[in-house]
This record gives sequence, C-alpha cells and structure tokens, in this order.
Amino acid sequence: MKAKHLSIIAKKEFRGLLSERTILLAILLQLFVALFSSFLMVGLTSMYDPTSLSKYSRFKYNIGYAGDESDLSRYLYASPDFRVFQMDLSTGVTALKERKLAAVIWVPDTAPDADDPIKITLYTLQNDLQSAIVDVKLKDIFLRYEKDLREVRVDRLNEQPLPLRFPPASGGGDFYEFVYGLLIPLLVFMPAIIASALVIDLITEEYQHDTLETLVSTPVTFSEMVWGKVLACEVLVPAQAAVWLVLLMINGIAIENAGLILLHVTISSFVLVLLGALTALHYRERTAAQFIFSTALVVVILFALSLPANPMNLLTRLAVGTAGTEQWAVLAAVLAVAALLGYATQKYAERISRISYTG
Amino acid sequence: MVMMQERSREDMMGTLADITTIARWEVKKSFSMMSRDVLPLAIVLFVLLVAVTGFSAQSGLHLQDGMYRIGVDDPTMAQILSGDARFTVFQLAERDLIAQRGDFDILVINGYAYTGAGSRSVAARKTLERDYAKYVNSVYNREEDLFAAYPLWIDTQSVKSELSFLATQSGQYVSAAPVRAAPVPEGPVEQVETPSPTLSVTKEELRGQLVQSNAENTQISRYTETLSSSTVTMGTFKTPSQLSPPLPFDSIILVFVFIFPLYFTSQFFMMSIMNERIERKGEILLSAPVKTVSIIIGKMLPYLLGMLAICAALTLWIQASPLIILPLVPVIFFFLANALLIGMLSRSFKELSFISIFFSTVATSYLFFPSIFANVHVISLISPLTLIVLTLQGTPWTVTDYLYSTSLFWLTSAVLFYIAAKNFKEERLFSEKGLVTRMREFLSEILSRKHPFLSLFLLTGFSIPFVFMVQMMCLVLFFNLPMPASLVFLLLFAALIEETAKGIGIYTLYNRDPGFLTWKNLILASGATAIGFLVGEKLLLFVTLAQISDSVFGSILFLSLGSLWLPLLLHFAGVLIVACFIKKWGAKGFVPGLALAMVVHCLYNLYFILGWLL
Repeated sequence: MKAKHLSIIAKKEFRGLLSERTILLAILLQLFVALFSSFLMVGLTSMYDPTSLSKYSRFKYNIGYAGDESDLSRYLYASPDFRVFQMDLSTGVTALKERKLAAVIWVPDTAPDADDPIKITLYTLQNDLQSAIVDVKLKDIFLRYEKDLREVRVDRLNEQPLPLRFPPASGGGDFYEFVYGLLIPLLVFMPAIIASALVIDLITEEYQHDTLETLVSTPVTFSEMVWGKVLACEVLVPAQAAVWLVLLMINGIAIENAGLILLHVTISSFVLVLLGALTALHYRERTAAQFIFSTALVVVILFALSLPANPMNLLTRLAVGTAGTEQWAVLAAVLAVAALLGYATQKYAERISRISYTG
Repeated sequence: MVMMQERSREDMMGTLADITTIARWEVKKSFSMMSRDVLPLAIVLFVLLVAVTGFSAQSGLHLQDGMYRIGVDDPTMAQILSGDARFTVFQLAERDLIAQRGDFDILVINGYAYTGAGSRSVAARKTLERDYAKYVNSVYNREEDLFAAYPLWIDTQSVKSELSFLATQSGQYVSAAPVRAAPVPEGPVEQVETPSPTLSVTKEELRGQLVQSNAENTQISRYTETLSSSTVTMGTFKTPSQLSPPLPFDSIILVFVFIFPLYFTSQFFMMSIMNERIERKGEILLSAPVKTVSIIIGKMLPYLLGMLAICAALTLWIQASPLIILPLVPVIFFFLANALLIGMLSRSFKELSFISIFFSTVATSYLFFPSIFANVHVISLISPLTLIVLTLQGTPWTVTDYLYSTSLFWLTSAVLFYIAAKNFKEERLFSEKGLVTRMREFLSEILSRKHPFLSLFLLTGFSIPFVFMVQMMCLVLFFNLPMPASLVFLLLFAALIEETAKGIGIYTLYNRDPGFLTWKNLILASGATAIGFLVGEKLLLFVTLAQISDSVFGSILFLSLGSLWLPLLLHFAGVLIVACFIKKWGAKGFVPGLALAMVVHCLYNLYFILGWLL
C-alpha cells in the first residue's frame, strides 16, 4: 500500500466535495444547528427563569386575591413582583378574562393547623406566556408558605429528613448539564456520523456510476482506493469537530481539554467510518447500505451509551475537566476495535479485488 | 357531449391503470432489491435493537456520569448521593475534606453544603439541590399524616380569555398602565362557583401520585426537570414544588417517534428517483406512453401508503386518537415533495446526502421547536406537531387551528410537486450541470414562454408560502439575540428574502433569453411580479397568519397590511431595481441589485416602524 496512492484518492474526493460545494452545506448546517440550539437555550431559560429577561422582571403583575387574610396574602403584599387587590372571586375571574389581572387566587378559611390541607385555587389564562411567568413567580411564594405550614404541623411528622442547608443561591447553572452533558458530545460527535455516511456514498458511487473499472486500471489497487476514501472522510472529522468547539467557545462556553476531545473523536470516528466502509463494500448499492448502516449505527451508539465510561461520556468529562486516567483505557479499547475493523476492511477489500480482477 | 364524457372517463381509467402498474413495479423493484441479503441482516439488526433497548433501559444511559466530584462526611448522605451517577462521591473525614477542598466541586459537612464559584460548582449545587429535594420528598411520602408533610395544595384552573389572543401576540402586557385601585371588569360579572375547600381525591391517591412523580428519575427527565419538576399530577392538584410551566416533554418525544420513520421512508423514495437517473432506467419509463404525472404518482404511491400505514400503526401502538394522523398528512406530503425534488436535483450521492441531511435538519427544527411551547404560546401553532401534542394531551383543537398550522405545508408541497412534475423529463433528469444552474432550469421550466407575465405573477404569488416559511425560521433564529440586534437582523433578512423571491423570476427569464428584457417588458414584468407578491401575501395573511402579523416582529415581516398602494409601490420599486441592474450588468448585476433593493425595502420599513414607535 503506497501513501502516495492513498493521498491521490483522498485528494480526488476532496476536489469532488469542493467542486460540488456540498461542504458549504455542511458548514451552513453547523451554523444553523448552533443558532437553533442557542435559541432553544435562551428561549427555555427565559421560560424557566423569567428574570433572565429583563423586560419581564421590571414588571409588576396585578393579582386578584379572594378570601381571608393569611400569611400567604402577607407574602404577596410584600412581594415586589405583584400588586395585590382584595376582591370578590367572580369579579376577579371576569377581570382576568378581560386581561386586567394576571391571576386570581382563592384561599379558603382552613386553619393552618387543621387536619385537612389548605387548598388554594389559582386561576390563570390559558395558552399565555405570561401565565407561565406568573406561575413561576408565584411558585416561590407558595413554597415559602408551604414551609411555614409544615413548621406549624411538624409535631405530626414521624420522621425528619437528614438536614442539608445551602448557601444563598448565586443563580445560573441551569443549563450546564444540557450544554456539557448533551450538546457538546452530540455536536462533536456529529462529524463522525456524517463522515461514516459519506464514506458509504463515496464507495457505492464507484459501483453505481461504473467508474470502478477506470479507477482500478490505474496503478492504484482496490484496497488503496478504499483506504484513500476512508482517509478523506476521516480527515474531515477533527476539522469539523474543531469548528464546533470554536463555535461553542465563541458562544462563551468554556471547554477544557479541546485537544484531547479531538483525539478521542477522531479515534472513535474510525470505528464508525470503517463500519460504513464495510457495509458499502458488502452491498455496493447506496439504499441498502445506508439503510443497514443507519440501523446498525443506532444499535452501536445505544449500546455504547449503556456502558459506563463510554467514549461519549468521556467527551463530557473531558469538556468539564473531570476525566481521569481511565480515559486512556477507554481510548485503547476503542483503538483495538478500530484496528479489528481495519483488519477486516483490508481483508475484505483484498478478497473483493482477487475475485473480481484476477479470478 | 356524451362522447367527450366517455372519453374523459376512459382517460381517467387509463391513468389509474398506469398509476397502479407503476406503483406495482416500484414495490416489486424495491422488494427484489431488499430481499437480496438486506432483509436477513435487517431482521438481525432489529432483534439487536430490541435487545439493546432493553439493556439500556436497565443500565441507563451513561452520558453524564462523573461530571461532578462531591466530598461528604456523613455515610448516610454519601449513600443517598451515590444513587446519582453524575456525582463521583468521596466519603472522607471532615478535616481531610477541608484539606483537599480544591479537588471537589461541592462539599457537604455537618449538614451544610459548601460550593465554589466556578460554573461547574454552581451546576453541581443545582443537581445536589434537586437530588436532596427528591430525597426529602421520598421521606415525606412515607409519612402517615400526608397533609402534615404536604400542607398546601394548589388547584390550577385555566381561564380562556375572552379577548382574542391577538392581545398577547402583539406583546401587550396584561395591564399596561399602573393601576392604583382594583380593576373593574367592563363586561357583566359572571358568577364563579366558590371552589370547595377540600380535595376531592383521597390521601392514598395523592400519595401514589407523589411517589410516581418522585420516581421519575430517567435520564430524559434529568433534562426536563430543569424546566418542569413533574409531568404526573393528580388532575389539577399540585404541591407548590410541582407548579411549573407546562412543557409537554413526553408528548414531544412521542412526536419524534412519528417524524423519524416518515423521514426514513421518504429517503427510500428519494433514492428510488435518484436510481432511475443513475441507471438510466427512467428513460424507458419516460418514453412509454404514460403521463409524467402518472409516473410520479405511481412511484410515490407505495411510499405514501407505507407512511400512512406507519402512522396508523404507531397511533394504534400508543393508543392515541386517530385524529393524530390528520396533521401528519401534510407533513408526509411535504417530505415526499422534497424527497422527489432532491432526488431529481442532486448529481451525486454526496450531494444527495448533504442536501437531504440539511433539509431534514431544517424541516425537523421547523416542525419540532415551536411544539415545545404547545401549552404556553400561540406561536407554537405554526407547527402541525403542536396539534399532535395537543391531541395526545386531550386538548381539542379547531378547524381554524388546523388550517393555520398546516396550510403552509399543503401549499409548499403542492408547489414543489408542480415544479417536479413540470421538470420530470429527460433533459432535466440526465443533465450533469451544477446545482444552482439546475435549480434555475427547474424554475425556468415552469415559466411559460407564451404568457411570461402571467407566469411571473403566479410564480411570485406562489413563492409567498416559501417566503413565510423562511421568514418564520428567521424569526425563531433571531429571537435569541438581544432586542435591538434581533430587530435589525430581522429587518435586513426579511427584506432580503422578499426581494430575492421577487427578483428570482426576472433573473430566470433573463438567463433563458437575455433579449427578453426590453424596457417595456421590464416594466411589465416588474408590475406583474409586484402584483403577484401583493396578492399572494394578502391572501395568505388573511387566511392564516393574521395572528402573528400583529406582533412586534410581525409588523416588520408583514408591515404592508394597512393600505394597498404603498406596499404595491414598494414591491414594484424593489423588483424594478433588481431588473434594471440585471438589464444593465447582466447576471452579475443580480446580487448588487438585490442589495440595493434590500436597503430601499429596509428604509421603507424603518420609516413606518419608527413612525409607529414614535
């Protein structure tokens, strides 16, 4: 196997990718997904924590309160988020329907230490972003009231949970796990999946466009051709993954061990790309190969995810900086699988070329 | 008269026979291809998939293992926390913990949590808080006197506003001016029944619900619990900690179950079209005395039926209402139309893969993300999937809702099918030109030579649904930028998209026949385009999009609702600029022309928005 032949094939594939400008689509796709996930994050953060949207936080919501005075009404009066009006329930709900109020609360005259719970009725508008925000703001007050009530009824409890007190919250941290525990492994791994789909296209194309004969009549051997294509796809993986990491960092997401992440992704992607190459060599037809490969891909990824310390978990740990020495063991295991698949690919390619072109 | 009817009936029968023949071929072909040695392996993989799913359900997904390091002095607490794989728990003596505190994200000593300032520490604290709350709840759930542990219950009642939801859409707040006195309703006060002060369910039923909601510790709920603490509630009764914005995550995951197989099946259709072109088998089919429409419908029919069957099977499986299929039908047609066109357009497998991946990502996000806000905001209705979420929840929706969320899909699919049908012939299918050239050729095919102006009018009119779809995407994308930036970007992009949609027809005509653009024709073509755009815009707006068009963003996108003359003049000016540039500098003038038209369009919009703001 000559390195020169490999690079000839790899370069040919790159030229094809560039001339078709398909690579442009891939970059656009990355940008699109990045923008969209940030939409998702900002959108959802503002739902969960409305104060992050300053235009909502400066707002005082009008609330109707029906029922007797209680600790709850005192909390509500003291809250900077609400302006509370004591009113009749029917009047309140009608005003709510006319959007003159944001919510109406009805409180029964159940005593704090009664046997029964205190059942509050909360009226909000259906299908309304503001109801969601009001809900979140009211929740804090209800939680405080619940704690007080629990204190009143504490004698009736059999068991006290182990105490754990937290320092005052500084806010933030809601989307840490989403970003590091889902987004980063997903985005960094996506190039590996794209590359493995690409290698199938490259190999089956030679069969279905009948260009194989021409290619094999050159000094390039069949297995060199296969490896050249594998190489072309493989080179794309760290490049694309690096683009992701840079994009994420521009978005203000600190990523540790970027170099190691790229190393791990590149090695793991060998497994997928070689799996794709084997499928393509076997079926020599895109529909069948892609169908079988994508099903196999789901099986492989799901299986890998069910194992502790899998390569994707490692990406998460590397990105947050809690990966220990176990990463080298995982890397060695992945490398072994890749070597095994590489050997199989080489043998298979040799067999095919023996059968088709000498026998 | 009778004879003519007779003949048209024979034609119909003939067409139907053709379609069924081609559909049968298609099925036979794909089955012979599949059965070679795909089927055995597919079955093996399917069995493996079921096995692996079972395995992962048992062992859990280990994606976030070991994200945080926590140091604990109390063995019971260490025991509790070791249940969460996200923590690597170290149980040490107090002074060892303090000596090595730099190694931990969070420390628990003597019932106090100590955290650092780093973002990992802050996140670890959130996770610890949630885990601790779960533990506390599990203790309280065992209490004999449940109402001592949970003394406060909230009954949430949704009230439908009698004002149309245009009010919130336009960004109006509940009450704009500060109110000193209690608000007084304008309409007659409706009597609301005083709620009963007691819960209508038994203590044990409530306990069951609490236990169930506390046990939701799957990996998926880890992501969702960031947003809503629980999805299981007993009717409308909640404890305060269960009170959260109602985000329907379960339903959304189910929706994915529907969309993924549909996309997968449409891939087979795409490949079948592509294969006709590669193996040049399509030529035989095209030379046969069969209408191209029959060929397309015939080839599509098996996939369409297959997709419908998949949807029906899934609906049966999850035991949902068959109403779910209704919003899926336009989505199926949309996927098929795109598959057809992509299969006809791409030159190589690489191109096919990339275009289809790109398309599927864009389409899935368009479908998927609005439906997250299904219970929260009306904008979610721009996706048909929201209707599915609502059906799964048992919330009824109306015919208007259906029209509102599916009309764009119906319209765009129809236009795409028309373009594909017009271009389904030899010189297009077997040409080796670049992607952009081919797209232009495809467009050129639907512009009639005899009636160029009528074609321009229709082309621009029918481009409106696409323009709206792209603008909706922009609205969603720019939504996350800070306020002035999002408005500026939206302003620029909305103008650019509209001007491109208007200019493309004249550009195509020029490319086909540069001599066409005489001054007289140029004016006429611009006029036809401008009127086409205006008519299309108005029609679609009035039919469906009036709800969004009143919001702040909508006022940029669809500013031209007010009078008719000004927008017509604007559209005309925009096209005229582009057309003049093309006439003067040829195809090279297209992009600079678009830029100038965009600037003019923006200035116009700015003038009106500023006027409206002041």
